[in-house]
Formats: sequence, structure tokens, C-alpha cells
Amino acid sequence: MIEMHWVVIVILLPLTGAVVCFLWPRQTVVSGLITAVGLFASVLGLTWQVLEQGALRYAVGGWGAPLGIDLYVDGLSLLMLIVTAVVGLAISVYSSAYFRLDRAKHFWPLWLFLWAALNALFLSADIFNIYVTLELMGLAAVALVALSGGANALTAAMRYLLVSLLGSLFYLMGVALLYHSYGSVDIAILSQRVESSPAVWVAIGLMVAGLLLKTALFPLHFWLPPAHSSAPAPVSALLSALVVKASFYILLRLWLEVFPLTNTVPGQFALGQFGLAQILGLLGAAAVLWGGIQALRQTRLKLLVAYSTVLQIGYLFLAFPLASIIGWKAALYLLLAHAVAKTAMFMAAGNILFYGGHDRIADLDRVAQRLPLTLSAFGLAGISLMGLPPSGGFIAKWLLLEAAIRSGQWWWGLMLIVGGLLTGAYVFKVIGYAFTRSDLPHEPGFVPKRMEWVALVMALLAIVLGLFAPLPLALLEIGSPFGESLR
Amino acid sequence: MNNTGENTIPLSLRLLLMVLLTVMAVGLAYAVLSLPAQAPGLSVYAVENINISGVSNPVTAVLLNYRAYDTFLELGVLLLALLGVWSLGCAGCQHQSSPGPVLDSLSRLLVPILIMVSGYLLWAGAHAPGGAFQAGSVLGAAGVLLLLAGWRIHAGLAGLPLRIALVLGVAVFALVGAVLILPGGQLLAFPPAYAGGLILLFETVATLSIAISLTALFLGADPDEEDAS
Repeated sequence: MIEMHWVVIVILLPLTGAVVCFLWPRQTVVSGLITAVGLFASVLGLTWQVLEQGALRYAVGGWGAPLGIDLYVDGLSLLMLIVTAVVGLAISVYSSAYFRLDRAKHFWPLWLFLWAALNALFLSADIFNIYVTLELMGLAAVALVALSGGANALTAAMRYLLVSLLGSLFYLMGVALLYHSYGSVDIAILSQRVESSPAVWVAIGLMVAGLLLKTALFPLHFWLPPAHSSAPAPVSALLSALVVKASFYILLRLWLEVFPLTNTVPGQFALGQFGLAQILGLLGAAAVLWGGIQALRQTRLKLLVAYSTVLQIGYLFLAFPLASIIGWKAALYLLLAHAVAKTAMFMAAGNILFYGGHDRIADLDRVAQRLPLTLSAFGLAGISLMGLPPSGGFIAKWLLLEAAIRSGQWWWGLMLIVGGLLTGAYVFKVIGYAFTRSDLPHEPGFVPKRMEWVALVMALLAIVLGLFAPLPLALLEIGSPFGESLR
Repeated sequence: MNNTGENTIPLSLRLLLMVLLTVMAVGLAYAVLSLPAQAPGLSVYAVENINISGVSNPVTAVLLNYRAYDTFLELGVLLLALLGVWSLGCAGCQHQSSPGPVLDSLSRLLVPILIMVSGYLLWAGAHAPGGAFQAGSVLGAAGVLLLLAGWRIHAGLAGLPLRIALVLGVAVFALVGAVLILPGGQLLAFPPAYAGGLILLFETVATLSIAISLTALFLGADPDEEDAS
């Protein structure tokens, strides 16, 4: 029987697709779409394989850690791959109608490179290899932001580049300290060897700081709203849905596997990690407040959606002080629900921009009549972001609330309610303007039907996620990435 | 940013920044000083396996065999950087300089030497410091020198042929790496008997791609598009 190397295919396929799109720019859309569909199927193949065989370890080059680089798939990385595949396919279909050929020939190679980097990142079990994938992802993301042209986009892209490089360098410095101390860059080996020492503490500080900068947790979110709002709509969607989540994923991996220093003076590290977790939780809570208030104050639709990402990232960090399996699961479910809903929302915003030529919220002249599908998508995505039943956002918040109460820290749960109210306020603000007649009637543009339908399908998916919650949650159990159930 | 812009940062913030940076510097210095003098690195493993790696220089063995996957992705980073630059389009990059007599004769003298040095570095990588990245940089310098001297790529080669040369490194890595899976191996797992030859193949295509990418990055825009506009 020939063992299918799905693990490798999900990395090589998008890279090959990117090269093909680059070599033959005239056929770029067709090659890109074929790659996207093939990649979606490959991730399904990998999912099936992991469901059959459990967590997989793959030694690239046949050397194995510590000499070589290992790839590793467990429930956590698999969920990230699936989120990327679903959002990626939707973005590919949307982009095939969104870009004209002169932009498309640049978009597709960059986007497929980004997809390859994301898959490679989620599969890597090697902290130096993760650095390489981070650079690959960061460069592709920056180039994609600059794709819309214009001074605003270029400034935002430049700032994003500097932030992204700074974050990677902080991370790399941490990698160097860990490698020098323990002679390995493999996550599994490090998790057995790491002990409490000044070098490790500095490494943790550097890596956490670098990754928080890339994840745009308050107050390090300053680069996100301009970058995410000035990019083309499909790029905004993939930045908010996938790219900021990738650095969150690395942080979570390190937090769960490398940072808990086991063979140490009892209590010493536990206290340190407890303190750090509380700080992350507090920053998360501040992000919820700040992101929500700023979103309410925005007059441009895409900036509003970008600040809503700042808010939602805050939720993810509320799981750190809870430190329970159900808390982590809740955070990941939230990540999944947010990725799908935010994709729908940015696509809807893109459609409105396409239609009216502007995204001033106050002048959303009767979008409701002209683009009913798009407005429905926006509303449904809003429901999931608010966390109303039966959406995916509701399940995630419910789990997070449960984790907060179980751990006796109900005050973190309070932030979920505050965030939900703020989200409700800004979603209704947009919908309200979309129904009213503005003073400035405008010439409507033509929005391809495909773009409207993809947005709606993603929004519906965000709602339906609430009904199929046990499936992804069971997937997360594979390889027990969050440790044994009694922790 | 001009001088008045600098003054708008309040003093308190600048003091805070200074304190934070000092704390960070002290922390870093303390951490580095506290490290063990003898690092338990991986050089022992690297040397242990050198006989089946296909080369005798441990650095090349790490880059092209043990951690060839990293190198593969790094070549992707270089290609991606070029894609990013090309996607920005061409704003004021059609600078046609006329070289002075010194540059003209110097480039005629230097370019053949650079090509030879690059070839030597490529070959030397198997047993001494050298290899694709060094050879590619030197060859890239030759390309930059040619561009400075007013040379431009032939219009017939600016399209697909140039693009093929640019992706050669990534493409050959992906292709050969994947083909090695078929007889039941792992991605980029070189059979020891062929490892030396495969590494030389990778080094050669990587050298070409690196050199051409660096030259193209210096030019700043897609030469094919430049002609069209």
C-alpha cells in the first residue's frame, strides 16, 4: 500500500501553484483556482489520514529531530489547516472575480505563497523552521497589502513590513537563546529539556513580545487597522482571518509545550507563568474594550471591520489566565468562528466598496435594496461576532464563559458580554445606515454575483458552525495538544 | 520626518522608551552572560553523519542535507521578495545610465573574474566554506555591475526564460524532493550514494536563481513589463 504523504502535499502543492502562476501570468486565475481546489481536497485527505492514524510525525529528509526538521500534525495543527483551507478556498473564488488581470497576475503567486507558508507554519515542529515560515508569511502579506496601490496602502504596507520584521527578529533572538541553552530547536525535545534559567526567561519574554506584536494584541495593534483596511478586500479578509492567527498559534504552541518548565523548583515557574497569563488576559480585556470603542467611532466601513478584529483578538487571550482545556478549546473555536465570519464581513465590505466606490458608513445609500445578499452576509457575520445563538461565535463564548466560571474567575466572562454589546452596537450602526437614504446619491457599480454569493456562504457557515460544534471540538482532542484532561 | 516632527514626541514618552530599552538591554546582557560557555549544540550529530551526507563540509551538510527543507523555504523567501518588488510596479525605475570609460573597462575586466570566483565558491562548498548563497551573491554582483554598465536583458529572454531562471532553485528542490518520495522515501531524503550529486545539482540551480534574483532586485521592476509600458 502506498502511504499518501498528505503532510508534504499540502506544503508543496501551493508552492508549485505559485510557481506555475508566476511562470504563465495569462493563465494565472485558472491555475490558481485549480490549486485552491486541489489544496482543499488535500487537507481533507490529511484530515482523513489523521482521523485514521492519530497524530503524525514526519521527518523531512529522513533524519529526524534533533538533526533534521520534523513536521507534526495533531488536532490543533489540523484545525488550523482546515480553517486555512476553508477560508482560502472562499478567498480564491472571491478573488477570481475581484481582481482584473493586471492585479491578478501579482495576487495569485503571492497568495499561494502565503498559503504555503501558513500550512508549513502549522505543520512545523521546529522553532527555527517556524521562523523561516514566519518570514515567508510576513513578506507575502506585506506585498499583498501594497497590492491596492496608492499612498495609504504603501505607507501601511511599509509600516507592516517593519513591524513584521521586528516581531520576527524578537522571535529569532529567543530561538537563538533556547538553542544555545539546550542544543535543539525541536519543540518536543525542548519541552523535555527546558528548565527555569535567566536565558529561558529572556527567551520567553522576547518570543512572547515578538508574537504579540505580530498578533496585534492591544497595545501592539497600532499597525493593524491601517494595514487591514487599506488592502484589497480579499487580502483584508485573509489577513484578519488567517495571518494574525498564525502568530497566535505559535504563541499557543510554545505556551503549551515549551514554556511550562517542569523540572524546576516547585512553584517558581508556575508563579511566573501565572503572572504572565494574567497580564495576557488583562491585555486581552483591554483589547476588547479599545477595539470595540474604536470600531464604534469609525466612519469608514473597512476601518470599522479592522478594529473589530482588534476586539476579537482580545477574546483569544482571555483563555490564558483560565489555563484549562475547555478554555483553550473555546479560544480555538472562537478563532475558527471569527475567521469564517470576518472573511464574510470583509468580503461584504469589499462588495459595498465595489458597488458604491466608497466605504463611508454614513453614505451607505440603500445598499439593502441593491445588494441584499451582501447585506445579509454582513448581518449574519455580525451575529456570529456578537455571539448570538445559534452561531459559531455563540458556542465559543459559551465555552469560554463556562471555563471562566469553572476556574472561579468569572470577571473574564464579563468581558465577553461587554465585547458582545459593543459588537452589537457597531454592527447595527452599519445596518441602520444601509437602509436609509443618504444626501449624496451615487452611481452604482456592478458587483459580480460570485462575490456576493461567496460572502453569503461564508456568513451562513459562521452561523451553522454553532450547530456542528462537537465535530471540530473532537478533532482538537487528537494527540491531546492541551495535555491530559486532569490538568 | 523633519526636526519639528521629532519634537512632537513628548519628553515623558521618550524617557519611558529609554527606560524600557535600557531594561531590555540589561536583561539581554544578563541572559547572554548567564549562558553556559560550552553550548550543547548539534555539531556532534552533524559530524557523526557527515559520511552519508554527500559532502565533507558540515555547514553545507546542514544547509543542503540535514536541514535542506529550511534552505528550500529560504529560496522561496528570495523569490517572494522579488515577486513583492515586481508587484509594486515600476515608478521611476527606468534609469538608463551611460557608463563612464572607467566603469566600462572595469566591468569588462571584473565580470569574467566574478563568474570564475562564483564557480569556484560553488564547487568549494562541498569541502570548505562556500556554496550556493556565497556563489550566488558573487554572481549577482557581476549582474549588478553589468546593469550599471548599461547592459539590459535581451527582450526575447525577458519573459518566460527569465522567469524560469528565477524559479529554478525552488522548482528543482520541489521536484526532486517530491520525486524522492516515490520509491518509499521521505521528502528531501537523499540516498547516501546520490547525495553528493544531488547536492551539487541543488547548489548549481540555487546559485543561478539567487544570482538572477539579486540582479533583478537591483533592476527593481519586471523587465518584460518595462518594455510593454
